[in-house]
Amino acid sequence: MMIRLHIPDLSKLRVAILHRPHATVQSLRRQCKPIGLDVFDCWPELPPKALAADFVFFDADMGYDAQFPWNTGEAPMPMIALIGSEAPGRIEWSLSQGADAQILKPVGDGGVFSALLIARRAFEVRQQMRDEICVLRGRLSQRQTVVQAVTLLAAAGRSEDEAYAQLRQLAMARRETMEDAAHRIVLAAQSQGGLHGKLGKH
Amino acid sequence: MRKTIKLGILFSRSGSYGSLSSASRRGALLAIDAINSDESYDFVFETVDRDPKGNVDLYAPLCEEILEEKSVAHVIGCVTSWSRKDVIPLLERYGATLWYCLPYEGFEASDHVVYTHACPNQHLLPLLSWALPRFGNRGYLTGSNYIWGWEVNRVAREIILEAGGDVLGERYLALNDISIGHMIEEIRATRPNFVLNSLVGASSYTFLKAFAELAKTDSFFTPDNCPVLSCNLTESEFVEIGAAAEGLISAGPYFHGARGWPCHGVRSFESSFEAASWAAVMELAKLLQANPGAESAPISKLLSVNTYRTMVDTETHHTALPVLIAQVKDGAFQVLEQWQDIPADPYLSHSERRTDTRLPRLQIVK
Repeated sequence: MMIRLHIPDLSKLRVAILHRPHATVQSLRRQCKPIGLDVFDCWPELPPKALAADFVFFDADMGYDAQFPWNTGEAPMPMIALIGSEAPGRIEWSLSQGADAQILKPVGDGGVFSALLIARRAFEVRQQMRDEICVLRGRLSQRQTVVQAVTLLAAAGRSEDEAYAQLRQLAMARRETMEDAAHRIVLAAQSQGGLHGKLGKH
Repeated sequence: MRKTIKLGILFSRSGSYGSLSSASRRGALLAIDAINSDESYDFVFETVDRDPKGNVDLYAPLCEEILEEKSVAHVIGCVTSWSRKDVIPLLERYGATLWYCLPYEGFEASDHVVYTHACPNQHLLPLLSWALPRFGNRGYLTGSNYIWGWEVNRVAREIILEAGGDVLGERYLALNDISIGHMIEEIRATRPNFVLNSLVGASSYTFLKAFAELAKTDSFFTPDNCPVLSCNLTESEFVEIGAAAEGLISAGPYFHGARGWPCHGVRSFESSFEAASWAAVMELAKLLQANPGAESAPISKLLSVNTYRTMVDTETHHTALPVLIAQVKDGAFQVLEQWQDIPADPYLSHSERRTDTRLPRLQIVK
C-alpha cells in the first residue's frame, strides 16, 4: 500500500526569501528545512527564478516596489511579509504588495509553517474571487444584450415578464447562461435582416 | 576529579498521565545512574528535579526555575504537547534544550528541542499501512479532546480515505472523561474493521475494558477480527488496563525485550518510554563527553561543533528509530513486524522516509 498524503503538501516547494543577509534569513531557512522546502535568498532584487517560486518572504522594513518583477500587488504566488517595525506606513506598503500573511521579526523558533498555510489559503481565496469577479464583470457587460433579447422576444406579442421567462427557459434547455442565450437571439435577429429593423418594428 | 553538570528533570509524578510520566522519569534516572557510576565520563550529572503534578500550567514556571535559578542548559521532561509548547519560549530565551522522549503528533521541529521518541511517520503511518491490508480499511477513530487525538485522527482519516476506506465514526472525550458508553454503542452498530485508540489515561483504560467486554458478548469484536490499534500504548500502562490489554496492537520504537535500539539489548527496559528517556540522557552524555567546553551551549551549537556520530538529526532534531508493530499476547507485547532506522519526518513531507510495504503472507488453509 503506497501512502500519498495530501497534507501538508509543502515538500519540494520553492521558497524565495527577499531579505538582506541576516539572522532572520538563517532562522527562516532553519524552519523551512524540516518542512522539506527548497529555499533561496536574495537582496535587493528578486531574480527571474523567483517567478517560479511557490512562496515569497519579503522584508517589510527595507523593501520597495522596484524589487519585484511584477506590478505592485499582482504577485503570482502567496507573499509573506517579514515585519520588524510595525509602523502603519510599512504595513500599508506590505499590504499593497499583496501580503497574504506575516511573521514578526526577530524570527524565532516558529511561525513559518502556519504562515505558509495561511498565506496559501488567503492567496487561493483571492485568486478564486478574482476569477469569479472576472466572470461576473463579463456578465454585467452583457446586460444590454439581455435587454435586447427580451425586447425581441416581447416583440412577438408577449409581455416583458413572459419574454424574460422564455429567455430563461431557452438558456436552461441548452444548458447555457442567460447572457449566452440572449447573445444567440440577438445574433439570429441581426442575420434575419438587422437588429435595428426588427427593433424598429416594435 | 569529575566535574558536575546539572541536568533538569521536569516530569509529573502524579496526575492523569502519571504512569507514562513515571516511566519516562525512571528511564532518565537509570541513565543518570549509569553515567555517574561510569568513570570513563569526565563529569557526573546532578539532577534538578521539579514535579508539575500533572498541572499543565506549572510546567513553564517550574522550567523557568530550573533554567534561571539553577543555570541548567539541558532539561529532560514534558509528557503532553501542551507542556512542551509551553516551555519552548523559555528554552529560546535561555538558550536551553529540552529532551522530549514521548511519541507525539509531529508538525514541529524546534531549534531548542531534541525528540527521541516517534513522530507519525514512525508510528501512525507504519501502523495503518500494516493494518489496513490485514484487517480492512473501515476504521473507527477515538481520541482524547486535545492535539494528540485531533492530529493523529486527522492523518489517519486521510490515510484511510486514500486507501479507499471509510471512517465509520470519530469521537473525542475530554481528558479524564470516562463516559465511553456512546462510543461503544457506535462501534457495535457500525462494525468497523479496526478501532484506532488515541484516548489517553483513564478514558483509554475505561474504553479498553468496555471494548474487551463487548468482545465477550459479540465475537465480531475479538482482536483477530476487529483489533484496537494504538500509537502510544506501552507496557507502562498494563497495570491499569489489566486483562483487557490482551490483543491490543501498538506501534513504537521498542517493546520490552526487544534488541537493537537503544542499546543493542545490553539493558532491558519496561517500555519504550523508559527506553527513549534513557536514550536521551545517554546521547546527551556522549555529546557532552565528545565536545568538552560545550556544556552550556544550545543544542544547535553543540551539534554544529560535534565530532561524535550522533543519533540526532541536525535539521529536524529528531532521531532515526526502529519501527516495531506488536500485539499483546499473554500479558506481553510480541513483535509482529519491524523496520530499522527510519528517519523522522515530522512534517510528513519526505515520502522516502516512509516504511516499505509489508503485505500479509498468504496462509495455507488446512
